[in-house]
Amino acid sequence: MAEVFSAQNLWKRFGNVAAVQGVSLNVHSGEVVGLLGPNGAGKTTTLRMLAGILTPTDGQVLIKGMDMRKHALEAKERIGFLSGDTQVYQRLSPREVLLYFGRLYRMEETRLAQRIEQLVQELEMGAFASRLCRTLSSGEKQRANIARAFVHEPDVLILDEPTSSLDVISGQFIVEAIRRERAAGRAIVLSTHIMSEAEYLCDRIYLVHKGKIVGSGTLAGILAHSGCANLTDAFLHYVEHGKQPAASGV
Amino acid sequence: MENSLLLPASSMRPHIIATIFRKEITESLRDRLTVIVVLLLPLLVYPLMLIGMSKLRESQELAQEVRPSQIAVWGAAPADLVGWLKRTNALVLENWTGASESLRAEFEAGKFQPPPAAVMERNGEKTAPPDPLMDAARALVSRRKADAVLIVWPGFEKELVRGGLGRISIYFDSVRPASEKAQERLNEELVQFRKDIVQQRERERGLAEGFSRAVEISSRNIAPASRRTGQVLGVLLPFLVIILSATGSVYAAIDLTAGEKDRGTMQTLMCAPLRTGEIVCGKFLAVWIIGLISALANTGSMAATLTRVVAPTGMLNLSPWTYLWTFAMLLPVTFTISAFFLAVAVLARDAKDAGNFLGPALIILMMPLGAAMTPGVELDAWTSFVPLVNIALLIKALFIAEGRPEYVFLTLVSSAIYAMLALLFAARVFGREQVLLGGKDSVRSIFSIERGRDIVPTPGFALTAFAVIFVVMFYGSLMLENASIIKMMLATQYGFFLLPVLALAAGMKFSSRETFSLRPPHWRGVLAAVLMGLSGWAVIGGVAIRLLPPPDSLVRAMEKILLLGDKPAPLWALWVAVGVTPAICEELLFRGLILSGLRRLGKWPAILLSAFLFALAHSSIYRLLPTLLMGVLLGYIVWRTGSILCSMIVHGLNNGLMATLVHSPNLLQRFHLQDTPYLPWHLTIAATVVLILSLLLLRSVPRSGAETHDARPD
Repeated sequence: MAEVFSAQNLWKRFGNVAAVQGVSLNVHSGEVVGLLGPNGAGKTTTLRMLAGILTPTDGQVLIKGMDMRKHALEAKERIGFLSGDTQVYQRLSPREVLLYFGRLYRMEETRLAQRIEQLVQELEMGAFASRLCRTLSSGEKQRANIARAFVHEPDVLILDEPTSSLDVISGQFIVEAIRRERAAGRAIVLSTHIMSEAEYLCDRIYLVHKGKIVGSGTLAGILAHSGCANLTDAFLHYVEHGKQPAASGV
Repeated sequence: MENSLLLPASSMRPHIIATIFRKEITESLRDRLTVIVVLLLPLLVYPLMLIGMSKLRESQELAQEVRPSQIAVWGAAPADLVGWLKRTNALVLENWTGASESLRAEFEAGKFQPPPAAVMERNGEKTAPPDPLMDAARALVSRRKADAVLIVWPGFEKELVRGGLGRISIYFDSVRPASEKAQERLNEELVQFRKDIVQQRERERGLAEGFSRAVEISSRNIAPASRRTGQVLGVLLPFLVIILSATGSVYAAIDLTAGEKDRGTMQTLMCAPLRTGEIVCGKFLAVWIIGLISALANTGSMAATLTRVVAPTGMLNLSPWTYLWTFAMLLPVTFTISAFFLAVAVLARDAKDAGNFLGPALIILMMPLGAAMTPGVELDAWTSFVPLVNIALLIKALFIAEGRPEYVFLTLVSSAIYAMLALLFAARVFGREQVLLGGKDSVRSIFSIERGRDIVPTPGFALTAFAVIFVVMFYGSLMLENASIIKMMLATQYGFFLLPVLALAAGMKFSSRETFSLRPPHWRGVLAAVLMGLSGWAVIGGVAIRLLPPPDSLVRAMEKILLLGDKPAPLWALWVAVGVTPAICEELLFRGLILSGLRRLGKWPAILLSAFLFALAHSSIYRLLPTLLMGVLLGYIVWRTGSILCSMIVHGLNNGLMATLVHSPNLLQRFHLQDTPYLPWHLTIAATVVLILSLLLLRSVPRSGAETHDARPD
């Protein structure tokens, strides 16, 4: 698997507060990488830097070898970003939202129309795709939001707590979509504070605490290295014992 | 939950109500903006507004008091009357100003009759017989050539000598405070003059006091009724129409910025492959269009009401052009206000916050508009550069059928500049990632400038620098209007152009070489510059002056500037002051700081925009086209050669040659230019050939370093 996406020594300071401190990671095509950590660990800030929403105070983000700082527009065209708290435009229908973003991503009109229909079918949006978003349920809105993030067929998907505030059935749409995109060869980075979600979705996991990576590896590797039976205990173990040698692959 | 509203009053629990009240009031008062809006704003607004307006009123009255009234005297005024009127120095008399030869002849032949002694009002204009005397007086006063006309009716002196009744009239315009003041002064002096004669006659003839009349004084208000109604409505309606149009864009500005943050959609836009400027422009256009729709609705409703309800009464009958102009004036107003609101609204964390921000912003907006309502405040050079006030005054001027083209132009130019500043501010705020993500960012950090980050100015920096330099230069020049031309020119060029440009470049640590294109030019570039300098003025002058001929007053003013005064200065001094000085100072600003700042926009947008700003800086509608074309040539030569020296040569030769021509009548005669307002076609064509040669020569100059560095980063 080819490396699609990497971050090297990312720092983000807000005044005197260093929210992210030297985070490095990489993601390959067809791989789901998770950022796992408690609330306030710096996951969202890291993902926002990866998506080009925030500018790193220091460090570099590369997409297919392209420096995001130097080629921001080209890099952003290859990224799809979705977070649990982003919403869709209330006074547009999901179809209109997809059309709007497809055009912002400079998609060719015929291809865009096909892609919209494909997403409407895949995410079972047919019943509500032409209704205004303000009339939709949370789950329906989140499906429209997934479609919005995926519409331009990005190489990299950055998902920030995508299932937060969703019920089990609505969350399942996200899980299925992630698996489908992984199978299509996309590189996916997702953050979560739900250990079980990381266990069943992620190929590799980075454990984040207080703005730093404290451990990383496959689920089996992390468990074996920490000697713990589950990811929650392993996370606490890493936090307690500091960064382990297993994290050197980060 | 129990529905307490259905319970009888006796079952309401006061302590619960008190607890809820306490919590709500505590939370509300902990919101700093609520405290500002509820408490601080009223404490500040009234003193500021009332003190400001009364000070303004006082200064207006003082200005009226100090300024002598210009009186056109039509008719034969006896020497003792002239001496009487001149004794206080408050009246400046000019004989027969504004009266044509034919009017004068008819007047002296006794064709016109004096109005009754009482102040005469005139309402039914359409049915009134034509009165050439009043029309001429009206034209004179409305053009500001005189404040009032004193009409000394035929036989006045003879009547006084024989002890009879001399008739005299004051024609004034009640809409103009200066004219009213002139009427008041004249009336006072004439009453005293009459009293003096009457007392003298009574003494001489032993008559009882009050027996004689001697002089019949009548005042005639020459302002038509529509103008008087226009004065009343012209004060109120601009205020109303601007505020209501502004209100239209408030909600849109909030919805598209803070509303997006509230709804969590701003982030989706930020991760899309978009430039900040694109987001700002897209949103701004939407807010502006909504403001314009509101402006259109306001103007339309106002026009319909005035046409249907007011016009039939004969009080005010405005032409459709007035409404069209009013709407046209709302274009820059809504532009500026929309950009300002957008910038303020995006600072807010959510829609409620934005409402709190924009409430005070609207009040701040109303204050200068209130100043525009003050009687006596008119559109002039000073007020034409005060944002929003200028437009309010211009609409007011349109309502009373005034509005001089030069002030309309200055108002539009200054409004465009303020709108640009507001939009640049909005773009700057949008560039703050913390602000867009709903976080807080201090105002200081929004305005903070990172020195030494760029080697050349950014487009935003260049445009902001131009706007600030231009406004300072404009007001600085006005303050220096009583100084000699040479002092004014040197102060403007060195003080308002060169000094800030050098200070900004040094302060921001820009590269002097890159910012000012300080490179030695190729010899072909120098030759092209010389040819362009010799021919450019002739081509541009030959064509542009034919398209938009300047008025005589401007031609005379330009000649005075080129000669550095009424008497020509030595030729070498003209070349230094009019040729070399602007060539250095203006070039370092326009082809240096500004052109290098705009370079990122690409070759032609940068050259055209810098040329346009160069043209605007000359502050005259008649000079707009020639200076724009010259600006394009100057920008192109710097872009092509990479050296500012070339544009300095062109600029210096251009100005110096024009000054030499004006200075040397012999030269004008040699080229047969003394009797023609335009450059003859054969000279224009010859100059065009030379100019084309210079452009061809420029094409052969090796590509400059500057030209190869016009890549546009994301």
